[in-house]
Amino acid sequence: MKHLSDQELMRIVQAGDYSPASEIYDRYSGRIYNFAFRFLKNAEAAEDATQEVFVKMMRHANQFNGDAKLSTWLFSITANWCRDYLRKADNKVKESEDVLVTLPAPTEFAPDRNLEQRENAERVRRALNALTAEQREAILLSRYQGLSYAEIAQIAGCSEGAVKTRVFRAMETLKKTLTGEVSGGGRCLNVVQ
Amino acid sequence: MRESMPLLLTESLDPARRELTHQHIETCDLCGPEWSAYKETWMVMGDLPEVDVPARVKAQFLEGMGVVEKRTDNVVPFHRRPAFKWVAQAAAVVVLAGGSYFAGRENAPAIPSRDAEITGVRPRDITPVSLAETRELDAEALSPNIQGRPDITNVQFVDSNPDGEISVSFDVSSRWTVKGNPKDKSIVRLLSYVLENDATPRSNAMEWVRRTYSDPAYADPEIANALAKVLQNDTHEGVRIRAVEALTMLPPAVASETRDALIQALKSDPNPAVRIKAVEALANLTKSGTVLDPAMVDTLREKASQNDENLYVRVKAAEALSHIKP
Repeated sequence: MKHLSDQELMRIVQAGDYSPASEIYDRYSGRIYNFAFRFLKNAEAAEDATQEVFVKMMRHANQFNGDAKLSTWLFSITANWCRDYLRKADNKVKESEDVLVTLPAPTEFAPDRNLEQRENAERVRRALNALTAEQREAILLSRYQGLSYAEIAQIAGCSEGAVKTRVFRAMETLKKTLTGEVSGGGRCLNVVQ
Repeated sequence: MRESMPLLLTESLDPARRELTHQHIETCDLCGPEWSAYKETWMVMGDLPEVDVPARVKAQFLEGMGVVEKRTDNVVPFHRRPAFKWVAQAAAVVVLAGGSYFAGRENAPAIPSRDAEITGVRPRDITPVSLAETRELDAEALSPNIQGRPDITNVQFVDSNPDGEISVSFDVSSRWTVKGNPKDKSIVRLLSYVLENDATPRSNAMEWVRRTYSDPAYADPEIANALAKVLQNDTHEGVRIRAVEALTMLPPAVASETRDALIQALKSDPNPAVRIKAVEALANLTKSGTVLDPAMVDTLREKASQNDENLYVRVKAAEALSHIKP
């Protein structure tokens, strides 16, 4: 199965054969889980999200358009799941750092991650948590998943312009939190045409 | 102008606007520091580690879909076993054979019962026994004394053949300790196998290998090649990242294998975090004066100019190129 493309694997699934399930899972589960974990700030919910996203992918395989990227489709399903989760939680997802501290990722405490990296990771986590869900979704997909603004817009169900605004605002907040850099009184109003 | 900076970071500007924006930033007293802060933020964000997906998620997903993972056919009439188990099986056979040898040669009383392990048995004293998934042993080579209580399972019996011999086949588990110098080929080969087989927690294995084999006295290309295989084949990006980190700590004597593996990861790893690790390592190598062959330089050039590549990868590829002396 490893030599088959995403589209070829999905065609097999669309024909009713679930045998590519494991291969597709291996290709994308890491990205899906990490996105959900960072978005929801909750490892248990991220596990549920990952499992349900792949189940949904298999059961609704016929909805997959072969011209599209499988990753974009999977992230769409994941983002929807995460937004539903946050809504159901009445936007009261635990913001407590304790949740994150008690659910560490194994790699985060690896001995070869130096103290500075671990401290930075903690700062980044806090900074991401301070963003709105929309901003967090956009920056996670952009920075950590390398998706284009067009793909993020498709996933988030908004315009590319809205994605640019969300990423910009997220970056402004992150910059202030992570570098202590506060834009001074002067602001360049130059616009590159 | 500030609104354009995230677009620069994410490579979302067309080439003309990108060039103009960079030109402006270089000459603007307000935008220069702002751009530096954006880049620093982007960089620090890279310190957020990847998280491994718990194995139960996959198991539950596949179970829910009624999918059984296919395994490679095995011609051996036993169930396929994870590596550690057959190592243990082979170990037990060695222990039993070794015990028999010593008991017979030295006419010594039976070794007191204790956990089976090879300690203090020098290769020069016995014929080296290779690890194998299955092994046949003549009864006369097996001591009648069984040490400790090895767990024997999956027993099969074969009736007597024309020579009147019967056979008993079984799996046996016991603890095996192999001692030796890190340069011993048997140790190197064993570690390579352990690294390449997914029955072991490879992150731990790689960390241990990294610590041990970063000593120049123990440089061995087989270790580098084993890490390269992990980097190429492992499905978990966290493990692949650890492989990159381990490779970068190997001594210069295996720099060639390390370079090849890093370039390959940069070219073809599907995860940007792994490519970032690989290109960072390559940038450090070129900075320290390591020479790359023309094909590797071409790969770095391709990455530096690849529009749909992660920006940080591109920047680091360019940085690596800048250290290469013409």
